[in-house]
Amino acid sequence: MTRRPLAMSAAVALIALAAVSFALMGGSEGQPLQGEYKIGLLEPLTGPLAFEGKRHLDGYEAMRDMINERGGVMGKKLTLVVGDAVDPTAAASEANRLITRENVKIITGTYSSTLCGAASEAASRQNVIYWESSCVDPRFNKRGLRNVFRTEIDGTGFGWYNIEFIAKHLAPRFNLKPNQIKVAFLSEDSSYGQGVTEAARLRAKQEFGMQEVAAEYYAFASTNDFSPIVAKFKQLNPDVVHHIARGNDAVLFWRQSREQSFMFKALVHAGATGYGSIDFGKALGPEGNGPFVLAEPSAGLRLEAFRPEARKLETDFTAIIVKKTGDEPLASHRLAGAGLWLLKVVLDQAKTDELEKFRSAVMSLDMPVGSMLNGWGVKFAENGQNANERVQHYMLQWQNGKLNTVWPEEFTTLRAKWIPLGPWDQRK
Amino acid sequence: MSAVPQLIVSTVLLGGIYALIAVGLTLIFGIMRVVNFAHGEFLMLGMYFAFWAFTLWGIDPYFTLVVAVPLFFAVGLGVYALVMRGVIHASHNVQIFTTVGLSTALQNLALVLWTGDFRFVRPWHSGVVLRLGGAAFNLSQVVAFTVAVLFTLSLFAFMKWTHAGRVMRATAQDGEAATLMGIDTDRVYRLAFAIGIACVGVAGVLISPLYSVYPTAGLQFVLLAYVVVVLGGLGDMVGALLGSLIVAAVEVIGSYVFGSAWKEVIYFVLFIAVLVLRPAGLFGQRGAEALGV
Repeated sequence: MTRRPLAMSAAVALIALAAVSFALMGGSEGQPLQGEYKIGLLEPLTGPLAFEGKRHLDGYEAMRDMINERGGVMGKKLTLVVGDAVDPTAAASEANRLITRENVKIITGTYSSTLCGAASEAASRQNVIYWESSCVDPRFNKRGLRNVFRTEIDGTGFGWYNIEFIAKHLAPRFNLKPNQIKVAFLSEDSSYGQGVTEAARLRAKQEFGMQEVAAEYYAFASTNDFSPIVAKFKQLNPDVVHHIARGNDAVLFWRQSREQSFMFKALVHAGATGYGSIDFGKALGPEGNGPFVLAEPSAGLRLEAFRPEARKLETDFTAIIVKKTGDEPLASHRLAGAGLWLLKVVLDQAKTDELEKFRSAVMSLDMPVGSMLNGWGVKFAENGQNANERVQHYMLQWQNGKLNTVWPEEFTTLRAKWIPLGPWDQRK
Repeated sequence: MSAVPQLIVSTVLLGGIYALIAVGLTLIFGIMRVVNFAHGEFLMLGMYFAFWAFTLWGIDPYFTLVVAVPLFFAVGLGVYALVMRGVIHASHNVQIFTTVGLSTALQNLALVLWTGDFRFVRPWHSGVVLRLGGAAFNLSQVVAFTVAVLFTLSLFAFMKWTHAGRVMRATAQDGEAATLMGIDTDRVYRLAFAIGIACVGVAGVLISPLYSVYPTAGLQFVLLAYVVVVLGGLGDMVGALLGSLIVAAVEVIGSYVFGSAWKEVIYFVLFIAVLVLRPAGLFGQRGAEALGV
């Protein structure tokens, strides 16, 4: 090999790296924006999912403002055209409206696994780019749709991380080997709950030989009593309850477990709903001490573990959310914010929303963990899914009404408590 | 330790909650022959009423009841005058569309006014756990069950032994004949609707310490309330109580024995079987579904 091609390759690589860094830092910051660029945004803003949908919207709006302060997208001012995706039918019809009436070329959203499938199908039929920031349905990227991308981990990744945490962090503290741990799986029956649970069950059994003592699904919308499940679990005596909850079911299960003095060593959940929602802490306060939640980072996050550009993003985004909501960013804000920022990075690099060039820009991204908001890295697969191992997730724990980041320990200053969980009245 | 005592206690207490929600529905259903699809939203409003009274002024939900009964009675009168009166003699389709519309409007009104956030009412008694013979249960559940039984028996007595109750039953049996006998049927319907809404308002207040308050909270219970009303017999108060216990038993025992996913299969199969084989309900008189008693 001659020296020139090597030097050329190095130069090209350096220029590419510089371009990505430039985009990450908000390359054209301070320059006047020329025109406007509209992106369609679908979130459930009414109906049963609205409580989270509105938080996502807050996250998008905060990030939109941040992007516009940093040069917009492709040199234009970013605007969001919002549609209310109250259910899958509305998600599809609103996607059509955004495409045909608002002429958007990119749609993002939609928070829920019940919505993202319908919305992305509708976008796909009209060859519009669909950029999902938060639904985790594992089937989402398995439909062979070239226009569909997802920045967030998929449900199998959640299950993978949860079992990783149980096997490598909890088991040694229980003085048990992973294959001695008894797990009771409980989940609401949406595609999200099932996706996460089935992935966790598979890994727990195949890779670690954990003992599954129960696997129960329930209908979230009509379950008003967990006492029979608690009574059953009590007799099965699991070490860990792996519970994917969606809303009030987390509070109800926890309260009724306490009433029946159901003792287990740990409860592990994944996602921003159920135990991951701020509402769990509001409902139970210190009585809710103990559950683990796999989610985006919260209090205790060590920013020093991030790369410098990500550190700046993180600090600025947190400041905007605090100003907007009066509180630290929640997982919903973070998912929306990270998704929209990454979309800006891609658009700035592609300089177009034409599908094939956009897709090439997506596929060319290669950022290690710690490069993005939330400490995420980026490496998309051909199916449009950001690699699960790059979408760094964190285990949070409810400690006196707050969700604190407790794992991986190199990313946090705080530590997990109550391992194993003691008697209900001694988790102070 | 055996789980049987826990399952029995859970069945009885959950049944009490369902009965509390279903008695108002069965009254409206039985007398007016209107399927009120907005019933769950009045339950939600009752929960919000308890929440705001507790949050703003620290008033315990049980004290809130004193105001909730006349307030929701008045709400019932108002909704009847503004909405139901116009459709009471219309086809069932029109009534269904109207009450579904009312349901959606109330849900979204709550969403606009109070956002979609989950809210919680945590009075001192919501954390009190009682234990009896191997079973554990919450004090608020016991109160809800007791009030449900009292309400059901009071309504039963009202319908059976008071003049107003007899007039209501007569109207339910044959509205036209009742009119010919000089009964002001519009007044009867208004009273039935107002009592039904007062009942579900009270139910909302009483379950507020047990469940989260949010705009679509009513949906979580109202489907079960329809099952209860059909099982118990349309318009039959004691039947509603017994129907509630059956639904609760299926839910609790079904979840324990077969798994949670099966409970709805079981009670909806039961629901369909009752509709097909005994349309008047398990405890209703034969032919009552046609007469509305």
